[in-house]
Amino acid sequence: MHKLIKWMRRLEGWFGLAAGIFLIVGLYMALVTSPPDYYQGEVVRIMYIHVPFAQTSLLAYLVLFIGSLWYLWKKDPVVDNLNHAAAGVGAFFTIGELLTGSIWGKPAWNTWWTWDARLTSALVLLLILMAYLMLRMFMDDHVKEARYAAIVAIIGFVDLPIVYFSVEWWRTIHQPLSVSQRGLAISQEILIPLIVMTIGFYLLFTYMVMVRTRMLYLGHLLEAKKGRLLSQAHL
Amino acid sequence: MSSFYIRWGVLLLVTSMIAFLGFQRYQRDVASLTPDQLLENPTPDKTRVMGIIQGGTLTREHDSNRAYFLLQGENKTLPVRYEGHDTDTLRDLKVIVVTGHINSVTAEFDGESVSLIPNYGFVTVAYLLGILPTLFFLFLMERKLRLLYTEVKEAKLYEPEAIDFDKE
Repeated sequence: MHKLIKWMRRLEGWFGLAAGIFLIVGLYMALVTSPPDYYQGEVVRIMYIHVPFAQTSLLAYLVLFIGSLWYLWKKDPVVDNLNHAAAGVGAFFTIGELLTGSIWGKPAWNTWWTWDARLTSALVLLLILMAYLMLRMFMDDHVKEARYAAIVAIIGFVDLPIVYFSVEWWRTIHQPLSVSQRGLAISQEILIPLIVMTIGFYLLFTYMVMVRTRMLYLGHLLEAKKGRLLSQAHL
Repeated sequence: MSSFYIRWGVLLLVTSMIAFLGFQRYQRDVASLTPDQLLENPTPDKTRVMGIIQGGTLTREHDSNRAYFLLQGENKTLPVRYEGHDTDTLRDLKVIVVTGHINSVTAEFDGESVSLIPNYGFVTVAYLLGILPTLFFLFLMERKLRLLYTEVKEAKLYEPEAIDFDKE
């Protein structure tokens, strides 16, 4: 068995357990113990789920970018499975970010959607991930598919700094970074549950990527085995 | 597969418990009555009332942090005598939630604190749309992984060359 898969099989349960603990504690803090915001009231609680979704979608793309470089260098098919898994999970988290952001936008800005720099660049990130996944879906040659997908992921990386710094570069409706070189723009009572939820989401993302990578690996293994059986049947 | 379903059962139970705690908190600290509901069934308990400050009725005493206004519901208005922080946030025609008691002698509402509209519907939808699909996605992935694992293991039985390879 591949070393990376062995390593994932050994650690994945621990990541899942840690994610569960952090998320349960984080949800309790977010929904029960944290105070409402002075201006937004209870609606601010959406932040505890929206921001971790957004942070995790960026992490997913970073993993995909590094994994794609690694794949082009080593040509390891399991690393390709890891990239494919990170893209799928990343797309899921980006959809979560856009949906929860839209729900927060209605009471906070009185609109479900606006073509603000942060929102638009996040939507572009989702489209890049969708393009990546579609490319993987419709190609027959696995080696070519992996190589082209890695190239698409590397080119698409240009959107990542745009998503992150858009709120600093363009002064729009979206609030600027809460944690930056200027210091902390939020109180500790809000920051602590936010950190707990973000760590929980990072752990959950790691767990999901491990499960999905193994799933893709086993899928290819089964495909190979079935291919061999079929060739035997033809003989 | 049984350990898989047990694990998911426990997870579902814990999620339900958090939902229950969230609902309890909503009932205790967020849910509010309208002035009409309170005037129809007056209660001596501490209550949260949500309504609009009727235009032109707000009078304030800045020195003592006191205010008086009429809180407008659908059909009825509730006279509110407020004493507490944030009197500056009180404005004509603003929707607010006042926490306090109804005074059985004066039939006025003695307010102790004011807050903004809870908007808990948005919070609930955001959390449900965030958590439920995540759990469902994870459940499907784990289930598929288990099924594939079993399938790969079973497929091995039909590979004579692999068995020969192991013997060598």
